Amino acid sequence: MGSVCREDASLRYDADPHNPPSEVRSDALFREGLTQSGQTTYTPRLIALDLKEASTVSVYSWCNSATIWEYRDNSTDQSQAAADSYFPPYSLEEFTWEDLNRTLNHSALTAQLCGRNQSQHRGRVCFQISAFESWGRDPAWPRLLHSANSSQLRFVIEGVMPRSNCSRFALELLSIDSRDHEAREETHRSIDDEYTPSIFQVSQLVSVHVNSSAPVLSYAQWKPVAYRTASPVFEDSTPCRHSPSSPPLPPPRLGLALAFFGGALDQGYRASAVNISFGIPGEPFYNATGYLSWSCLLGLGSPPEDSFSPLVLGIMVVGLGTPALLLLVGGAYVCVRRLGRQQPGYAPIN
Amino acid sequence: MAEREECTGLLEGEDDSESSPSSSKYCSSEKQLPACCDPSRLLHRIVVLIFMCFLGFGSYFCYDNPAALQTQIVQDMDLNTSMFMQLYAWYSWPNVVLCFLGGFLLDRVFGIRTGGESLAVAQNTYAVSWFKGKELNLVFGLQLSMARLGSTVNMNIMGWIYSSVKGLVGSPGHTTLGITLLIGCATCIFSLICALVLGYLDKRAEKILNKEQGETGEVIKLTDVKDFSISLWLIFIICVCYYVAVFPFIGLGQVFFIEKFNFSPEQARAINSVVYIISAPASPVLGFMVDRIGKNIIWVMCAVVTTLAAHMMLAFTFWNPWIAMSLLGISYSLLACALWPMVAFVVPEHQLGTAYGFMQSIQNLGLALISIAAGYILDNHGYLFLEVFFSACVCLALIAVVMLYFVDLLRGGDLNLSAKKRGQLQQISDTEAEQRERLLQQNREDLARLRPMSAFGLRNRYLSRLGAQVQYGGND
Repeated sequence: MGSVCREDASLRYDADPHNPPSEVRSDALFREGLTQSGQTTYTPRLIALDLKEASTVSVYSWCNSATIWEYRDNSTDQSQAAADSYFPPYSLEEFTWEDLNRTLNHSALTAQLCGRNQSQHRGRVCFQISAFESWGRDPAWPRLLHSANSSQLRFVIEGVMPRSNCSRFALELLSIDSRDHEAREETHRSIDDEYTPSIFQVSQLVSVHVNSSAPVLSYAQWKPVAYRTASPVFEDSTPCRHSPSSPPLPPPRLGLALAFFGGALDQGYRASAVNISFGIPGEPFYNATGYLSWSCLLGLGSPPEDSFSPLVLGIMVVGLGTPALLLLVGGAYVCVRRLGRQQPGYAPIN
Repeated sequence: MAEREECTGLLEGEDDSESSPSSSKYCSSEKQLPACCDPSRLLHRIVVLIFMCFLGFGSYFCYDNPAALQTQIVQDMDLNTSMFMQLYAWYSWPNVVLCFLGGFLLDRVFGIRTGGESLAVAQNTYAVSWFKGKELNLVFGLQLSMARLGSTVNMNIMGWIYSSVKGLVGSPGHTTLGITLLIGCATCIFSLICALVLGYLDKRAEKILNKEQGETGEVIKLTDVKDFSISLWLIFIICVCYYVAVFPFIGLGQVFFIEKFNFSPEQARAINSVVYIISAPASPVLGFMVDRIGKNIIWVMCAVVTTLAAHMMLAFTFWNPWIAMSLLGISYSLLACALWPMVAFVVPEHQLGTAYGFMQSIQNLGLALISIAAGYILDNHGYLFLEVFFSACVCLALIAVVMLYFVDLLRGGDLNLSAKKRGQLQQISDTEAEQRERLLQQNREDLARLRPMSAFGLRNRYLSRLGAQVQYGGND
């Protein structure tokens, strides 16, 4: 959170050529926009999180969501939606964002950035960002396990007017890596669904050295589930699908990318994209509730892995141990009694 | 059902083209009834057997309707899993009481059948009435098979019916669901017709054959409950803890297989019904094996351990679930064959009805409570925790089996005898009973001979000792 305040403080409107350029190029990270009341404001386009007490933070890869797609889902099976069923996408660059400072919470290390498109009057798209200081688990579903090296991003679509009767949404995740790293998309099956009922998979977009799969340098981890209400119950979950990682693309010439990587963007870096769609044929459409939320964990190092809760382990140990113990104790007791009874009271005559 | 008299009432009915005086006594009439309408002929009894089997078909078909249509019910009626499982709970609540009362009502007002589990009691009565003797085992086995066949057919075709109705109506929704369930309940109406036909045939046979009402001895007395031994209470615990880990699991199983193993809905329904499909042919076979070998407690322990293994396989691995479900089906049949007869070994015959009625009652109580608990657990903690919960229930049953084994061993009971030994014991007890009977008979005869002399006889004896003339012809 510190870097946001630093950027805020270094904002200058006067383009004084004698002043040394600040370490942060504000023009790339902020741009002009309009508030709802029509006033000009400088709105951020990037949230950069500075990790406390990290000696060096080297950004290996860079994740961004640039576009939101909406498509009409008429299919009855699980094949891909036809190309003509896609509406023109919402590009996040054209959104108007609200003031971040009002939602910034320093003690809980969370912030919420909400924006809306010009055509939408009431609907909005929000990004809820949380940073963490230690291991823990998010209280809200999907209850992702996080470490101090990770932060959680929650993407919410709320009240946006759908453009058809059977609309679904999809989000594009763009990843830019240096040329000797690559972004790989993985799906792990897990037997543990204690924290996200009925979800047995974990999906990850990891950044590794080319031609080797370890160590994992950075990751984006999510569970393939989205929720259709603000406080979801079991029935409000809807599965997500994601496309396979696209082959390496030349990096897009977005202002943000240029700001981060500078002139070496074209030579030293490559991009790949993953599209995540919310809802499959047979599930209720976005029109049913008008709300969609999806969470993702971003971080450095290896992605955290879930394990059984102590309650489950305790139940299994007690449940399996007690009959075994009873058998042993009972068997010993029976043997002792049998041996005791065999003491002859009289010696045999013959 | 340990002792069964060889009743001559209906078994020898096959060779009665002329009236056989030793067996059924029916009014001699000039015209012979055709073979299928004559209550003493085998063909007629086969017809009755067919109606008896289909009587249970409709009831079990409808019992498992919620399982086959779980996703559709939850979506169309906007339920969560706890509310959905209450459909099962409400089946069981009335049966807690009705099993108890059912036997009582049967005795008092013969012919009134109420509810699903009391239906089982009623079916038993009909079966004993028509097939008392060596055929009874086969008939019970066939009834269980037909009931499970009803469940299987339900699992596999209800989804197809729903899709067809959805095509007709145009969209899913509560109308589609309603029409589907109405089609399902047509089988219940079919069962009702079977019941009415059976009732009519029974009354008619009663008139023609003048036979006694078959008594299963199920006169329920609530006060008998306090006389149950500890072995019997352990058997009750095994029954409850085992069945609550099987039936609610099958109720929730379809969505589990879809989510965890990525099955299609049709595949998931098929694998969910495997337990019933296996138990239909396996029950008679396993029952025969347990009869031959004996050692019931060991078989119960095997069944419980196998079920535990199946649940842990489903919880902690991604192995092909067909293996686990097949194991579950076999162990479910094995337990049914080995556990229920044990009740007859520990309980005297006049309490047998109370014991079975009580066992059914608490089984239904357990099912009702655990169905609701399972729905709640699934909503909040997911499938792994639910499977661990079911495994814990099976572990409780395992603890009860181990305790039963040791209690039986230490008290010198006869639950775990091999079949040979049990036969020997039965012979010994039969000969002892015979001897006692003979002794009693002798005593009675002796007592009859030791009749006190009348006054006239006494005087005659006294006078003959004296040498006086006696007068005969007194009035004794």
